[in-house]
Amino acid sequence: MRWEVDAAVVRLRREGALSAGQADLFGRVARRELVSVHRELRLLLYGGILVAMTGVGLLVKQNFERIGPLAIAAALGVAAAGCLGWVHRNAPPFSWGETRSSDFAFEYLLLLGVLLLGADLAYVEAQFTPLGDAWPRHLLIMSVVSALLAVRYDSRIVFSLALSTFAAWRGVSVVLLEKAFWSGPDPAGSLRANAIGCGLAFLLLAAALVRFERKAHFEPVAVHAGWILILGALVSGLGGDNVAFGVLAVVVGAGLAAFAFRRARFSLFVLGVLAAYTGLSALFLRADPPFAVAALWFALTSLAVLAALLTVHQRMRRPA
Amino acid sequence: MKAEAAEADRRREVREAAQGWWRAGAIDEAALAAVVSAYPDDRVRLGPAFRTLAFIFTALALNALFFFVVAVFEPGADVAGALSVAFGLLLCVLTDIQIGRLKRDEGGTEAATALVGLGYMIGGAGLLLSEAGLRGGALFPWLFALATVLFAAAAQRWGMALFAGLAGLSLFLFLAQSRGGRLLWIAAALVMIPLLTRAVESPRLPPAHRRSGQALLAVALVALYAALHLGSWDGGFVEALGSSGTQRLHDSPLRPVAIAGTALVPLCAIAFGIRSRRRLFLDLGLALGIASLVTLRFYVHVAPLWVVLTLGGAAAIAAALAARRFLASGPGGERGGFTAEPLFEDLSRQGALETVAAVATAPGARPAAADDRTLAPGGGRFGGGGASGEY
Repeated sequence: MRWEVDAAVVRLRREGALSAGQADLFGRVARRELVSVHRELRLLLYGGILVAMTGVGLLVKQNFERIGPLAIAAALGVAAAGCLGWVHRNAPPFSWGETRSSDFAFEYLLLLGVLLLGADLAYVEAQFTPLGDAWPRHLLIMSVVSALLAVRYDSRIVFSLALSTFAAWRGVSVVLLEKAFWSGPDPAGSLRANAIGCGLAFLLLAAALVRFERKAHFEPVAVHAGWILILGALVSGLGGDNVAFGVLAVVVGAGLAAFAFRRARFSLFVLGVLAAYTGLSALFLRADPPFAVAALWFALTSLAVLAALLTVHQRMRRPA
Repeated sequence: MKAEAAEADRRREVREAAQGWWRAGAIDEAALAAVVSAYPDDRVRLGPAFRTLAFIFTALALNALFFFVVAVFEPGADVAGALSVAFGLLLCVLTDIQIGRLKRDEGGTEAATALVGLGYMIGGAGLLLSEAGLRGGALFPWLFALATVLFAAAAQRWGMALFAGLAGLSLFLFLAQSRGGRLLWIAAALVMIPLLTRAVESPRLPPAHRRSGQALLAVALVALYAALHLGSWDGGFVEALGSSGTQRLHDSPLRPVAIAGTALVPLCAIAFGIRSRRRLFLDLGLALGIASLVTLRFYVHVAPLWVVLTLGGAAAIAAALAARRFLASGPGGERGGFTAEPLFEDLSRQGALETVAAVATAPGARPAAADDRTLAPGGGRFGGGGASGEY
């Protein structure tokens, strides 16, 4: 029961701020006479998809000799086609803007279809090797297919899958095929360089989505994925001998924080501040200070960051 | 909670509800402004991003400060314990000042000083007790009892639900230290559940205390399930938490009670949740029900794992779709006081969580042998588009 809300609804109705219909609905929800189970149903649907996909994975792994590769590939393909066919029949008309399906299960069946398609493609590649040595390209293909489906059916969830599958393709390719091209025998360095490259590509994609007004509402997904890859790559290099990662983490993190603050994008602001602080502290710790000095460093710098945050926040609240 | 903090909390509850109405398009800007002006906010609050950073940097600064003092003065264990308790007390006073005189709420700093302060008080007390000769099995009951009292007092004073949950956890850990720990868990939970179920409905309590009650209620429900769970019974889970060590109850004549409990606790929670339209019972009942199904699969091999998972997943999907259709087909899109419509929930937050979860299901890429085409963990995994590819 939300007693305060119930009393407020009565008061607001009396003062004319709410209509009778609004007051009735809000009052019922506050008194728990009407309860939404929307969240629970979504969770059940989403969890069901993930559990079923795990079962499909085990089925393929444990039974492919008994059932036969062709039958498994065909079954996965039929299941994926069934899901995607239903999605296509029930999809709203295409638009470069945001579209919303009236069907509760729409996005989840799309996700299930894409996951089944991905499993099928991977299975076909593993069994029949149509791509030969270029086998990691099945990830690229899946990434492109997922992105196309995400755009057609307007799904941010599938779009995020497309981006992460693309990043996975770069990771696999670097490690397995392009090691020599990137940085010789250092797979971690190659992965880092590719992560930064992927991150930059995602940021460019995000800018293009907004600039050309093509699914501009996908921009936050691409921007966050891009920055997480870039900052993650820089921070992952802090433990090595190269001081450049520390300097870059400070510069890029501070730049991101300043940019994000001006644009009121506070989740990016958090990423920027944390990356800059981590980079700065890593640079300080390279000097191998005594424990007491290191503790003092963290105490003073944390307090300084805190003071800066609270000052900035106070200025934001003050009317211009 | 002080009266003015409780009043601010009640007004916040109304503003939050109005934000939900506005987000869902049920009221316009003017109506929202009317609510905000009728229920003004006198607290200093930070948004989620600033709050997170404020919490992290406050906690970091406080810990670093303490370690600096310890590194400089290098006190013995007893002095360090006393210092820790004193530091914790100081931080609790600071928390009180922030919430009281400075009128801070959801600001990150007060939560950090409270959490770090209580941590140092409990840790320091542990050091002092240890120096006084209490070790291992003799120390833990005192420590958990102290933690229960401190967290409960913090939840009551500052209205933070996290501390109520921690108080409940500490209480059950304390009870687990005695020989009849499992029985005490069941008894305590059976006493707490009806009392708290009534208490969280009380209009006399401010919303923060009602949320604290819900957190405690959730802990009690989970504790009851854990005490009656067949796997916990056979594995001696509760006994392993106590000082008496692992004690398997596999051959106990009361084992059928555990079998019944594993099946009945989730069912009762779901039934009560539906009957009283309480989401806490419904959600926990569903979660515990899934745990019971996993337990059933562990004990009874009804089918190969892939069959259970595939059918279980399909059943969950079908159940969600059927429930949605059933509710939507009722008059006004509702049945028995339940609706599948989101009403005034923040859908963008749910969507963001699902997007993050989708990324987690995507194939990984890790260094591996150059010619590795297997699907074992290592050099990237098959399964584009998020398939796990763990074949």
